[in-house]
Amino acid sequence: MLVKPPLVLLSGPAGFGEWLELIDKSFIGALTLKTITLNPKEGNKPSRMAEGNNYIINRIGLENPGVLKFLEMLDTFKNLKSKIILSLGGDTVEEYLKIAETIKPYSKEFDAIEFNFSCPNVEKGGLSIVGDLQSWEKIIKTVRKILPDSFLIAKLGIEGIFVENAADILVNNDWNGITLINTVRGLHFENGKIILGGLSGPLLKPIALRAVYEVRKRFSDIFIIASGGIYNSNDAEEFMKVGASAIGIGSALFKSPEIVEEIGKKLMEVERSND
Amino acid sequence: MEKLYLKVQEKVQVNKDTWLIIFDEDFNFEPGQFIMVETPKLVRKPFVLGRWSDKSSISVQVKGEGTKWIVEESNFLKAHGPLGKPFTKQAGKGLLIASPTCLTLANVIKEIFETDVLIGSRTPLIIDIPYKTAIGNEDFMNSLKNSMGYDWYLVYGSKNMQKTVYDIFKGKKLFFSLEEYMGCGIGACKSCAIETKHGIKHVCTDGPIFAGDELCW
Repeated sequence: MLVKPPLVLLSGPAGFGEWLELIDKSFIGALTLKTITLNPKEGNKPSRMAEGNNYIINRIGLENPGVLKFLEMLDTFKNLKSKIILSLGGDTVEEYLKIAETIKPYSKEFDAIEFNFSCPNVEKGGLSIVGDLQSWEKIIKTVRKILPDSFLIAKLGIEGIFVENAADILVNNDWNGITLINTVRGLHFENGKIILGGLSGPLLKPIALRAVYEVRKRFSDIFIIASGGIYNSNDAEEFMKVGASAIGIGSALFKSPEIVEEIGKKLMEVERSND
Repeated sequence: MEKLYLKVQEKVQVNKDTWLIIFDEDFNFEPGQFIMVETPKLVRKPFVLGRWSDKSSISVQVKGEGTKWIVEESNFLKAHGPLGKPFTKQAGKGLLIASPTCLTLANVIKEIFETDVLIGSRTPLIIDIPYKTAIGNEDFMNSLKNSMGYDWYLVYGSKNMQKTVYDIFKGKKLFFSLEEYMGCGIGACKSCAIETKHGIKHVCTDGPIFAGDELCW
């Protein structure tokens, strides 16, 4: 998959492309849509987000209109005039396979399809599926059969499985890419009240760097979208050094959409000097 | 919605913890809309837009590191906006009930709607304002009880203050501008969800102003 510049707006914070009104599209290589599930999800009860020292915690809970309603919106995404990565999620093996079947006739509309295996916010959600290796391997094998021509990416967290072992299974089943890492489970006190959610922000950077490093060390060809604590061009450079194929920007959008332009510019300079 | 680069022309202290941040220009926005302002924190913060001395402005209550930075250190702000649904015209005469953090908005509402304004502040005001002001709880409660005759009410303030107003004016036409933690302000992240009688809604795109009878009290 050619992502030029190698910069991806990540699923979740990137929404359904709302930011493109504020960001010069030439700096965006691709945009991964909000995760879609088989059935509509209203998401978690408020409140859903808080900020701590060097991290953000969220418990959105995969709020989305469900795949059927989503398919009615397809034209909207064509108008975004950006490469679009579809993100799919589920609560059970059956849901992952069924959504892959549902999306199959439309798969060519997307430049890649990412399966979210790691959202830590949903009860019995992605996280537990990776934890059950047999179930997860079944999804990986079957989805590849259902979508033989798609550029398939798995989005993984660091919990439930070692990322390099997950990458091994992905490579053996002809998956093309891996997004490393998703949010990490966290607990935050807000005015004395406990919030359980997924951590993002600068705190994740060393964890994400290590995950990218470990996977690249073992697999030279897999496409890696680096995700976790990337807030400036120095962060981006470090991830490229350890083997990222593309730089993912997620929560940093909440700080400033201009971060995308700063990093995009840097990545374009690097590309030019490599040509 | 666009990227905004705002030069701060003046900062005016209103009470113990609230300042007016007045920009050096007057840009277009509708009453009730807000901007997301960048601070040294990780997430931009929403502020309701208003006017002061014919310039666009916001009011900032110091609550933490980010708001402290705006008040004490900033002389230039990066932001995006205007965001959110504007407040639409209502029949008859209304009362805007607001904390000092919405002082600049009062000027905008006054220009467009037939409205009186009641500012409720916990601590005494440092500047003179052209609006009725109630200082402290008792004064505020009395002022509310003497304000029963309006056709509609628009309320800006803390959750506690909003609940107090709701209980007093229940059954009347009430509107509340809500605050909920926001990630993006543009409908992308879905963090600013609230529960309403019609299910989950989002403060940034469905609001920030909601009808009182739509909310779960």
